[in-house]
This record gives sequence, structure tokens and C-alpha cells, in this order.
Amino acid sequence: MHTDLERMKRIAQRLRALPGEEPQPYGWEEFKRRAREQMEPRTRGVNQRYAAIAAALLVLVAGAAVWSRFTRSDASSHMHESQLAHVRAATVEGAVNSADTRVEVGERWLASLPKEPVVVRVGTRAAVTDLEDRIAEVDDLLTDETVDGGQPARLHLLEQERARLLNSLVEVRYAETLAAASR
Amino acid sequence: MTRLVEIEVSHDLLERARRGDQRAQAEIYAAVASTTFALIRRLVGHRTIAEDLFQDTMMTLYERLTEYRGEAPLGAWLRQIAISKCLMFLRSPWQRARMRLEGMCTEDAQTHGPALLATPAPREESFDVERALASLSPTARAVIWLYEVEGYSHQEIARCFGRSISFSKSQLARAHARLREWFEPNGGGQACTPI
Repeated sequence: MHTDLERMKRIAQRLRALPGEEPQPYGWEEFKRRAREQMEPRTRGVNQRYAAIAAALLVLVAGAAVWSRFTRSDASSHMHESQLAHVRAATVEGAVNSADTRVEVGERWLASLPKEPVVVRVGTRAAVTDLEDRIAEVDDLLTDETVDGGQPARLHLLEQERARLLNSLVEVRYAETLAAASR
Repeated sequence: MTRLVEIEVSHDLLERARRGDQRAQAEIYAAVASTTFALIRRLVGHRTIAEDLFQDTMMTLYERLTEYRGEAPLGAWLRQIAISKCLMFLRSPWQRARMRLEGMCTEDAQTHGPALLATPAPREESFDVERALASLSPTARAVIWLYEVEGYSHQEIARCFGRSISFSKSQLARAHARLREWFEPNGGGQACTPI
């Protein structure tokens, strides 16, 4: 008869007995090659950033010129909004009716966004982080329930909670995207 | 058995590597690569993801080598980098979403877990422990590994995950219960189902 403590100790010993080394996935030369590959987009990214700044300045100058001739036109911003509204409609409320599909589409849309917006607002960032943490927490519970063969009703509740949180995250990220586009 | 945290390199080698000497950098790579990769793979489970995180970790090592002050062994410093990369990965809902979409998280870790975590020529005992580890959720696996093998305290784990101490304790208890079921299927009541 073993006490819980003894069992825990035995499990810990088994874990510690696992090999601390295993063959490296690739050698030094391959590491350098991969590192070069990873560095290239970074350098390209910097160049692209300068190009983007130059393009933005150009647009600003052109915009000022147009401004002097005409009254303010909201055409471009309307275009942005309509595009984003289209994305939102397609991802959140569009033709998809089933909750599962909506969640999946929402996840795809979120995954397609950059991790953080170009301009970070403290308020929305805190909300996003909080929602992300809560989704991660529900994910953990879901994994545990699935592994343990949990009750379908409990799984369903967790799925619902996850979908609700994910929708909230989509809303907040959408608002961020709108704010960035209107800038 | 060498663990990453125990690995030290000579001051001279370190200095040369800092100055950009490729041979010195290659020597450091040879000294730490196998233990670093082993640690990362234990924490994230999936081999392909482990390779990406390993690459990232090693690049960070060389990029920040000048910041290393030598107060602890190089391995201990590198371990911090590796663990932080792994936990960032595990915490990221973007990665979770991708894993769910690609069916990697649950299917790979649970259905094909043993194959993913298998070493080229595993001994029976270690293979069994690998299988048991693969049956845990990624978070529970990371917590039990950090606590029982790497010697992290609940407080440190909580800080790493950006969560409370009770989160660390409950994850550890769950992981232990799960592993107990695995190793003693008839001892703890509920029988263990091979996943």
C-alpha cells in the first residue's frame, strides 16, 4: 500500500530518470542556414517599413493637395469601412448559421491577423490579453475533459463558453482593426 | 546524465563566441544543442514545433550572448530562454487556434503521442514514461516537468505562466493523478485507457 506522497515521489523519480539529452535535430551548418533564412525576412521587413513610411508621406502630400482643391471626401474611409464590414459579415454574422462554423471562421480570421496591432492601445490590449488568457484556460479544461472522457453536457458547456469568449475576442479585435484603418 | 542547467563553457570560449568567432559558436552549439532540444521537446511534445522553438532559442542565445554576465552556468541562462520560448508558445491562443484547426494539439499529443515523443532507440521504461507524458495536456506536462525535473517552485511556475500559485498547484495535482492512473491503472480506481 503506497501513500499518495510515495506515489508522487516515484513518478517524479521516473521523470527525472528520462534522458536529459537526445540527438540534436540538426548540426551547426544547418542551424546557420536556417538562421540566415530567418534573418532575411527581418531585413526585408525593415526595408519594407522604410518603403511604407515613404509611401505614407507621399500619400499625405497628395492628400493635402487634393484637400486644397476639394472639400473633405470620405470615399476612401468609406471604402475601408465597407471592406472591414464585409470581412466581419463573412466571419462573424454572415451566411454561416451554425455556431461551430462561426467559431471556426472566427478563429481563422483571428489567426490571419497580426498578433498585435501596429498601434497598441492599453485599454483594448488589456481586454484582448484577458480574453486570450480565459480562452487558454477553457482550452485546458476542454483538453482535460476530453482526455478524461468527460460528460458530454460539461463538454458542451465548455464549448459554449469558449465560443462566447472567442466571439468577444473577435469583437474587440475587430474594433482594433477598425480603429487602425480609420487612422 | 547531463542536464542543460549543469552545462558550463570556458570563459575563453565564451569571449571568442561573443567576438563572432564561428568555431567558438559551433563549439557552444555542440555543447548545448542536444540538452536544449531535449528540454524543449519535453515541454511542447510535438517534434516539429520543438525544432522551430529550438532554432528560435539558439538564435536568441547568439544574439544576446553579450548580455550574459556569467553569474550562473551558461546552461542555466539558456534554459531560461528555452523555457520562456516554450511557455510563450503554449500560452499563445493564436498557436492554440492553429493547432486546433490543424488537429495537431489533441490528435498528435493523444493519438500519436508516443510516436511523437519517441526517441530513436528508447529503453522500455523511458518509452513508457514518454507515453505517459504525452497523454497529459500541454500545460499540465509543462508544469509537472518544470516542478519535478527542473526544480521550479510553484511561485516561479505561476510567474512564468502569468497565473496564480493555485493554478500551478492544481495543474501539478492533475498531472500527478493522470500519471498515477497511467502507471498504476488498478491502484487508483479508474482504469487507464491507452490514448
